[in-house]
Amino acid sequence: MAASATHTRPRVAVAKFASCDGCQLTLLDLEDALLDIAERFEVADFPEATSRRSPGPYDVVFVEGAISTAEQADQIQELRRQARFLVTIGACATAGGIQALRNWADHDAVRAAVYQHPEYVESLAKATPVGEHVHVDAELRGCPIDPGQLLELLTAVLIGRRPQIRDEAVCRECKRKGLVCVEVAQGMACLGPVTQSGCGALCPTYGRGCYGCFGPRNPSNARGWSRALLAQGRAPEEVWRLFAGFTAYAEPFRGVLTELGAARERADREAVPPAGEQPLSTARG
Amino acid sequence: MLSSPIASQWFLGRADLDTLVQALRADGRRVIGPTVADGAIVYDEIGSAAELPSGWTDTQAPGRYRAAETGGDRVFDHTAGPTSWKRFTFPPVLELTVSHGEDFGFEQPAREIPPMAFLGVRACELAALGLQDRVFLGGQFTDEDYRGRRNAALVVAVQCSRANATCFCTSMGTGPEVRAGYDLLLTELAEGFVVEAGSPAGTAILQRLPARRATHAEMGAAVDSVEACRASMGEPLPMAGIHERLLAQLDNPRWAEVAERCLDCGNCTLSCPTCFCTATVERSDLDGRTSTSERLWDSCFDAGFARVAGGDFRSRSRDRYRQWLTHKFGTWMDQFSSLGCVGCGRCVTWCPVGIDVREELMAIAPPLAPTVEPEPVRPAAASPGAYSVARVSAVRLETSDTATLSLTDLDPAFLAGRPGQFAMVALPAFPAVPISISRYRPNGIDLTIRAAGPTTTALVNLKRGAKVGVRGPLGTWWPIEQAYGRHAVVVAGGVGLPPLRGLVDQLLAERERFSSVALFYGARTPADQVFADELKALAARDDIQVALTVDRAGPDWKGRVGVVTQLFDQVNCDCGRMTAFVCGPERMMQATVQTLIGRGVAPERIFVSLERHMECGIGLCGHCQMGRFFVCKDGPVFRLTQLGDTFNREGI
Repeated sequence: MAASATHTRPRVAVAKFASCDGCQLTLLDLEDALLDIAERFEVADFPEATSRRSPGPYDVVFVEGAISTAEQADQIQELRRQARFLVTIGACATAGGIQALRNWADHDAVRAAVYQHPEYVESLAKATPVGEHVHVDAELRGCPIDPGQLLELLTAVLIGRRPQIRDEAVCRECKRKGLVCVEVAQGMACLGPVTQSGCGALCPTYGRGCYGCFGPRNPSNARGWSRALLAQGRAPEEVWRLFAGFTAYAEPFRGVLTELGAARERADREAVPPAGEQPLSTARG
Repeated sequence: MLSSPIASQWFLGRADLDTLVQALRADGRRVIGPTVADGAIVYDEIGSAAELPSGWTDTQAPGRYRAAETGGDRVFDHTAGPTSWKRFTFPPVLELTVSHGEDFGFEQPAREIPPMAFLGVRACELAALGLQDRVFLGGQFTDEDYRGRRNAALVVAVQCSRANATCFCTSMGTGPEVRAGYDLLLTELAEGFVVEAGSPAGTAILQRLPARRATHAEMGAAVDSVEACRASMGEPLPMAGIHERLLAQLDNPRWAEVAERCLDCGNCTLSCPTCFCTATVERSDLDGRTSTSERLWDSCFDAGFARVAGGDFRSRSRDRYRQWLTHKFGTWMDQFSSLGCVGCGRCVTWCPVGIDVREELMAIAPPLAPTVEPEPVRPAAASPGAYSVARVSAVRLETSDTATLSLTDLDPAFLAGRPGQFAMVALPAFPAVPISISRYRPNGIDLTIRAAGPTTTALVNLKRGAKVGVRGPLGTWWPIEQAYGRHAVVVAGGVGLPPLRGLVDQLLAERERFSSVALFYGARTPADQVFADELKALAARDDIQVALTVDRAGPDWKGRVGVVTQLFDQVNCDCGRMTAFVCGPERMMQATVQTLIGRGVAPERIFVSLERHMECGIGLCGHCQMGRFFVCKDGPVFRLTQLGDTFNREGI
């Protein structure tokens, strides 16, 4: 990572594609650290925060959002050229986000269902993570990202070391916190075992199953988990909805969903609300 | 109030349990005990006995836990739950070091460890604390933070009165009975608790409680309650030799099969009360001027756990599951002189996909032998004169002076005999001789006899259909189970092969239980080889290595010439994992044993069969005495280390 030069502050840019802006806001939410950050980084381009914009190249570019239009697909290439380190932030940029659920559906039908005048909407058939378009140097997962992890990444850039972001299951955070497993003790469907940690086991802390917003960990035996959930007697539709959340398009969740495709079609026929909207409603086993 | 030191059992009414909690708190201790939270019975700080799970119980199964109210008033009716005591002796997150970049220094934070009391520690959990004591305090390097916390904790143990389906303390030898390592011990009865002190600190607390002497009925009921728990758990798992059984299975295909189910989530390791692996992460301020190293509970199921810059040593899930299981039930023994599992069953219950470690262990490293050692085979004819009459069904010449007699119509006791045992064989008017049994057949035995004296000469000259007196089977046998999971090597010299022939039969019959099987055989000349045709057939098989040598070659011999120990240059296995069975002339055995030990074979894994003058075969005539042994009944098969310096010494 970048060495911490005393004379030149690292130049940072924040860009967004198809997303809700929540992850960018996390940067602004680092209230206690904001002054220190502003002192140590040159925030060169951050339209969400300031209209004062400065062209690249940048040392670090934070990218929020999925690539959902042809225009975005071009812009991300240019952004990559301007970036020494390109860091994707949030479920949309790292996994395609909730909008990637359309990747399993008929594009025109989705557009017609959502927009009154679909002819004005020039979206690509698939919403895809940034990593499918350009090389990504680091990612911060989550919907939204965790402020602690963001600060750790900035710290690592300044110090010149690897960010201390652990590649482990959400279960580890539950166990360290002393939370009782909601899956084993209460029968809630939970994606914790196959999902990357970093959220502090937020949902289980409040007595709910994890719905995987940090996306699959590496390695993630999502197939093994979906098989076990089915073997517990859960309906394929329920398992489909559990995986069909904010990071559905990230492998191997994507593979599980494709496998469960038939179940999903059944779910559609029965006019169940679109998956992902209420992933937690299924978590009450 | 009690006035004398406690050497007995006392009774505390259930309504008075809070006096114990308050006595502990009055000493300034944080009392940690079971309490109901988040749909489970967890261990947490409690302020009074009212917070204990009175009227609660739990049911556990692989991947499933449920707490439920019973409507009763028993307090400790649950079993090991989601929390383990290591949370309080080995915290999940611990600040290790604070480093400063500007003045370049590392500090260890000073820590105040307040006194604690653990209330409700079960037998398996006490054993787990003992195992972590070995890990953190038993070696060259120690964890002083652990020591501080461990010393700060007073232990109030509780006997288990029931077990869950996931409990297997009886298999690991850790419970259900609490035997030692506590300050106070409670056994819950219908009306209250039988209380015992196990330390001066426990006695001091007990003296402050409104307890009275327990009645005989109460003491009896306390014993019965633990025994009922034990009885409810069924047969223990066959754990004998699990260390070696498991390490012989590194290539078992089941590892890959488990990996299909295993999620690598690490819940087993973090629930486990003995797992001790940690990671260290840095928490730095923005420009790294001050940074704190934090130690976190880690898990060997983490993808990066064994990663270095160049790659990951255990990149596959199967590698990681194998690492965990072989550590817990195998290599832990090498490191800490005990297995790393206490049988609490947490890894079974809290595995989201319900992988049952017991099932995996038994599938991957199946039991070697019946768990209960069978009764030694007793000869039906126990007195020196009681011969039964058998019939010679076949005679086969092995060499110019050696023949194999097949006997039928035998005393049925022979059918239960084992390779390595012998029979006393008699003909009318001839003195009886001890002859090793060279094979067990479905309806008889083989005796291979060299004509060395009058009786043996008469025996080798018997014809098919002849009668012969036999008594046996006698003596000890080759302990084949000592080679399970290892390389089994059979070394024979001359007519030392017949006592080993039945062993070779058995090794091949159970071939999958051995890493490899080899036979090294030396004879004086090619013409002196017994079972020559069988040796050829064995040499053609690919599940046994056969190497032959002779002292003096004839014109047709194209094989090795030299003593049998020279064949060991063909040994291509790890001698540390070898079990050797040796029989032949005594000098040959001595040379063999020396060579084997020189190659790294453990002396306790070398077995020899000795020959001595025998008249009775049952330890009464005195002829076969060798040091403290009668070779006929304490042998003829001995573990080398049993013999001490009587082996390899002239004139004993």
